[in-house]
Amino acid sequence: MAGILFEDIFNVKDMDPEGKKFDRVSRLHCESESFKMDLILDINTWIYPMELGDKFRLVLATTLQEDGRPASQEYLASEIDGSRADSFEYVMFGQVYRIEGDETEASSRLSAFVSFGGLLMRLQGDANNLHGFEIDQKIYLLMKKLAF
Amino acid sequence: MPKEQFREADVIKKISHVSFSIDSPQQIQQCSHLQVKMKTLYNQDNKRTPVENGVLDPRLGVSQKGSICATCNQGLNECIGHFGYLDLALPVFHVGHFRVTVTILQTICKKCARVMLKPEDGKVFSKKLMNPNLSYLAKKAIHQQILKKAKKSNKCPYCEFANGSVKKGPGLMKIVHEPFKGKKKTDLLLTAALDELVQATESNKELSQSIGPSSLIQELNPVEVLHLFKNIPKCDIPLLGMTSDSSDPANLIITRIYVPPACIRPSVASEIKSGTTEDDLTMKQSEILLINDYISKHMNTSGKMEIIQEDWDYLQLHVALYFNSEVSGVPLNMMPNKSTRGIVQRLKGKQGRFRGNLSGKRVDFSARTVISPDPNLMIHQVGVPDRIAKILTFPERVNSANIQMLRQMIRNGTDIHPGANYVLQKGAVNKKYLAYGNRDKLAQELKYGDIVERHLIDGDIVLFNRQPSLHKLSIMCHQAKVQPQRTFRFNECVCTPYNADFDGDEMNLHLPQTEEARAEALVLMGNRSNLVTPRNGELLIAATQDFITGGYLITQRDEFYTKEKAMQLATSMITGPDSDLTIDLPPPAILKPRRLWTGKQIFSLILRPNKNYPVIVNLATKGKNYTGNNDMCIRDSFVIIRNSQLICGSMDKSTLGSGTKICVFYAILRDFGENEATKSMWRLARMASYYMMNRGFSFGIGDVTPSQRLLEDKQDLLDKGYARCDEYILEMKKGTLQCTPGCSPEQTLESMMLKELSTIRDLAAKVCFRELHPTNSALIMAQSGSKGSNINISQMIACVGQQAINGKRVPNGFEDRALPYFEKFSKIPTAKGFVQNSFYSGLTPTEFYFHTMAGREGLVDTAVKTAETGYLQRRLVKCLEDLVVQYDGTVRNAISEVVEFLYGGDGLDPACMETKNRPVDLDRQLMHVQATYPHREQVKISSKDIRATAEEILARSEYSSSRNDFKLECMNYMDKVAKKIEKVETKYGHCGKVADEINRITEGQIEQFMNIVNEKFNRSTIEPGTAVGALGAQSIGEPGTQMTLKTFHFAGVASMNITQGVPRVVEIINATKQISTPVIIAHIEDNKSMEVARKVKARIEKTTLGEVSSFLEEVYRNDECFLLIKLDLDRIRVLGLEVNIDTIKYSICISKLKIKPNQVEIHGPSLLIIRPDTAKYGNMMNVELQRLTNLVPKIVIAGIPSVSRAVIAIDDKEGFYKLCIEGAALRDVMATYGVVGSKTTSNNIWEVFNTLGIEAARTTIIREITEVMEGHGMSVDYRHIMLLASQMTSRGDVLGITRHGLAKMRESVFNLASFEKTADHLFDAAYYGQTDSIDGVSERIILGMPASIGTGVFKLLHKHDDKKIQSVPIPIFDKFSW
Repeated sequence: MAGILFEDIFNVKDMDPEGKKFDRVSRLHCESESFKMDLILDINTWIYPMELGDKFRLVLATTLQEDGRPASQEYLASEIDGSRADSFEYVMFGQVYRIEGDETEASSRLSAFVSFGGLLMRLQGDANNLHGFEIDQKIYLLMKKLAF
Repeated sequence: MPKEQFREADVIKKISHVSFSIDSPQQIQQCSHLQVKMKTLYNQDNKRTPVENGVLDPRLGVSQKGSICATCNQGLNECIGHFGYLDLALPVFHVGHFRVTVTILQTICKKCARVMLKPEDGKVFSKKLMNPNLSYLAKKAIHQQILKKAKKSNKCPYCEFANGSVKKGPGLMKIVHEPFKGKKKTDLLLTAALDELVQATESNKELSQSIGPSSLIQELNPVEVLHLFKNIPKCDIPLLGMTSDSSDPANLIITRIYVPPACIRPSVASEIKSGTTEDDLTMKQSEILLINDYISKHMNTSGKMEIIQEDWDYLQLHVALYFNSEVSGVPLNMMPNKSTRGIVQRLKGKQGRFRGNLSGKRVDFSARTVISPDPNLMIHQVGVPDRIAKILTFPERVNSANIQMLRQMIRNGTDIHPGANYVLQKGAVNKKYLAYGNRDKLAQELKYGDIVERHLIDGDIVLFNRQPSLHKLSIMCHQAKVQPQRTFRFNECVCTPYNADFDGDEMNLHLPQTEEARAEALVLMGNRSNLVTPRNGELLIAATQDFITGGYLITQRDEFYTKEKAMQLATSMITGPDSDLTIDLPPPAILKPRRLWTGKQIFSLILRPNKNYPVIVNLATKGKNYTGNNDMCIRDSFVIIRNSQLICGSMDKSTLGSGTKICVFYAILRDFGENEATKSMWRLARMASYYMMNRGFSFGIGDVTPSQRLLEDKQDLLDKGYARCDEYILEMKKGTLQCTPGCSPEQTLESMMLKELSTIRDLAAKVCFRELHPTNSALIMAQSGSKGSNINISQMIACVGQQAINGKRVPNGFEDRALPYFEKFSKIPTAKGFVQNSFYSGLTPTEFYFHTMAGREGLVDTAVKTAETGYLQRRLVKCLEDLVVQYDGTVRNAISEVVEFLYGGDGLDPACMETKNRPVDLDRQLMHVQATYPHREQVKISSKDIRATAEEILARSEYSSSRNDFKLECMNYMDKVAKKIEKVETKYGHCGKVADEINRITEGQIEQFMNIVNEKFNRSTIEPGTAVGALGAQSIGEPGTQMTLKTFHFAGVASMNITQGVPRVVEIINATKQISTPVIIAHIEDNKSMEVARKVKARIEKTTLGEVSSFLEEVYRNDECFLLIKLDLDRIRVLGLEVNIDTIKYSICISKLKIKPNQVEIHGPSLLIIRPDTAKYGNMMNVELQRLTNLVPKIVIAGIPSVSRAVIAIDDKEGFYKLCIEGAALRDVMATYGVVGSKTTSNNIWEVFNTLGIEAARTTIIREITEVMEGHGMSVDYRHIMLLASQMTSRGDVLGITRHGLAKMRESVFNLASFEKTADHLFDAAYYGQTDSIDGVSERIILGMPASIGTGVFKLLHKHDDKKIQSVPIPIFDKFSW
């Protein structure tokens, strides 16, 4: 699978822990099952409602094309159809803007920050799981809820 | 005629200096065309012809249209007027010179008229005075010395004549001389004089009536004085201060006066009551002539002495009134009925000649109308109504490029807009008006070199101004856009510098008339060049109000757009010059379940519409509502803009608005220039207003209706707060209230109540914020910062809060209560002006009344403030106006005296400061470089190589001439970066490639970084010619207008407040000697111990005997009586006083009570007895004892007598103890044992100057002004304050920014006269024979010459000799013509 940076299944542990500040956007605090990654993710709950305890599969990829062809920087309607996105329910496009170590903890956990047009994602975990992340990289986030 | 481009006039015609002197009668005659003799104005022939040789003689010039001057045969516009003169029948004193006349008389002998100095003294002084380089000030000082010396001598050293004191006598302008004042009755001279009197009365009985004992006082009338002055020997004249060759003291006495030309005192023919209205001067002249006639008639017919004397007095009065109609001391019976305008009145004051006509003039080519907003106009444009455009013209010279356009304009004529009003054909004298005549023909005949006065058209350079013009940004250059309305319009972003709103404000517009003026205006005054205020370098032109709200709403996290909406919003910015702008819409942020773009993506298009657009801006900053966790802030208020993409955060006032340096537009301005900054501002204006129009944004009753929960919470808050207040009141009544140091229980209660009540309102505001829905309009406005604060919201919805008057709760207007509704002495919140209702719920009558009280205070405050700050500003500007940065980097005044050796200590421009006081924000710059130049091909530099790399780069030749502070700052910063990277490396070094992404920096990036920073440093050096003085004055004066007038601020301790705000600024700037709240802050050697602090305090604070004695009794016994004093030893110990009975005895003895040591007896360690001297007072003993009982307790036994209070305060930052001392005793405090003298400061500039010297005074001025400014949240660059302080101290003396200080800073008569006391300065200058060399700005403006400031500083760029152009040899074949 070309172009995939990260893939795992996450559990929603908390939603808007500090209160819901925005009507249509919620901040999910999630934990991954296999790599023990922490995830903070803003999603548009208006069009894609999420509940506490939901389980979902999350894929971060640099392109939507199965063949790994790089994505264009402009809006092309055709690009999305017939791509990797078809098998997911919720897809976002954004860019990595910061990779940061943890100042306080002694462990070698790193955080990658991604902004999907202002909807933020922080993926925190062992550095080995974050290989391939580069600053200013364009990135797709693909999500699909898993049935229990 | 159109204005020609300004060229400096021919050398011969240049005014080099202006000399002031007093004309002698001969000179007056020489300058005049006729002698005026006739008192009547017109002939009695019904034709109203002026009388020949009268005050209105036609030879004096013309004042009415159509008449011709009899002297020069020219009309009203051409004739400049001609002087006449009139002779007085008797000499009189000159009002303006009366004071100096008296001083001269005090200096000279009243018989031989020589200056009463010993010959040797006279020689020394005259030698000093003859020094040609003597300054005006020095001359005045020497004159004062001479005066002082000569005044003392009561016997003339030359003729031995008795001279007494000379004074202004009773009555109008009388001088009396008392030759025998202070002489004993037996003095020979006196008796001789008395004898003479007796003889005289004996021989002439009539005289006995007029001669009495007072006849020894001799009146000096003008004739006698004139005679004396004429007799002053030539060699003595310089000793009177009149050093110029032609000056003669005799000219101070008027025998002949000018009759000014008719044109300055025009007669106005009135239609209604057939006749003319004459000017005051004309009337006065004819009155003088009338009195003259009387006097000469009486003198010729040998009239009565008394009558002549009376007429003479009248003559004196009217001549005085002619010069100065406000002359004081006019006897009641001589008082004129109506006040007139004398010559002095014409000159002085705001509307006078100096300030009203010479320093500022009326102009042509200007317009004024109401202003309105227009977001569709670009930042640099101004919408001009076409009616105005048709009247304002620009003289354009015809050339090949514009001939077609100008032809069309001529055809259009005066009534169709892009038209023209006049044409001046080349070689023609008169211009042709285009409203009539054959315009087509004129257009056809138009040729190169003609001048067309065309209408104002789009793109013309105009100056736009709004009063009050408090800073240079109040008048800026815009480009005109002619529009069919009736108001001036401009983009709201430009409101801030003008301080304009649209509630009916009017503004002025000026159209520069030459190409040179246009070019200079566009570059120097263009509002795009002035986005930033020179006060502190903050952005002034930026998004305001709706634009901020719009920007805030668009960039909310939950703002999503469908494709249609996104496209529509994005295209809203395509218009005008941007109509061919390509917009690259980014891929949608949400692709599935449906495609949605976020507001932030669309907002990013404002910064960078397409991928070829050059603007790549980077920014990371906290917003207004920041809570924590950097970018993960839950309120989404941490803004990151990376490569012009808004990554996170919603925009608000701090990131879009004016007055900050973290604004996006500021970042664009600094990195890409003003054009890009204004363009993006304009795009935001368009997009935000479009968005707001679509979304709708209104405010209604629903927005201020509180919810049930909010009401409950508020009630809860009120109940709790009131309960606490009741507790405090109860505590006070019981006397258990813990007093704050240095406060009485009442004061403590007040401050605690005030604190409690203000917390109620703050908490209510917080509740409001919590309870209001995010879509509440008021909340949106407050959070975005576009309008209103949380206090405003809270007042509308929850609770109006405490009404303060004078910073305190409402005072008692009735007996012991504020309003009769309340109980007496009630201290509860509602009785003292706490308003618990909101504006929504409505105020109760008492609350309403309290509210109006506070409201009125606010109104009064603003009214007073405007006047006070206006005057402050004027004084500041006047004192600093001529300070200019020279080419050598020094700041000098007009006569090239150095004020600062390097402007601000570093020669940097305050307008170019990105961070506080430094020209580059290095953090942001590095981030910018890292984001813009990823240098993916380069490898990351490790931490230990960074320094070496940076050093290597800085050693390159391109940095050889760089500023040293740049290199130092860069290297320090690189070290900081290296340290940060080192941390990362040690921690994540093993994590492989992804760890390299953290704080990745490459060599290319460092190179780029250095390059940019270097350039920014170089660019921010101050330009030679910058009027730093004027800028500094404006930068200090303008924020003054925003300061509230009456505020106090507590210096560490609650009880010790310091004057703040405008009054304090005035105090500092005036260099007031007695300031209202002098406070000394003393640091203590062992500053951690309260015990030591108390001891030191005891050493400083004044303690009187009364404070430490338990009783003081007068004891009367049969055999003796004395004063018994019992000391309270416990109290002495508690206070930590270092005194005992012996030192107290000593203190008593050295006090001013004159008690001798043997009168004080010590009985034990705490008992003192004072026995007054029995022999001296005898039976007055009880009186003396009572006197002592009153005075003895006031004897200071410890501390510094002038210190009334010292309070131990805890430092806010460091937490150690220090002393705040009230009073003026810096010297003593510094010398006190236990005080760190080197860290002791005082806020009294004069005291610091006297104790520590001028440099310390300068530092104090800087510190004090900075403190006041910071106390009001006003940031002013330290360079401005430093310059002000330097100017105030540059003479080695602290000079206030007042007329007294200015008189010591300036020599120029014009400069001083155009400030204050116009007439005094002019008369003085005439007396001393002063010359003004016309160097300063004011003088140059008055004389219409360019000043050496700004573009006027350079004179000659290159002096080149004319070289002969070598003749080109003719090609060989051209020599032969075929």
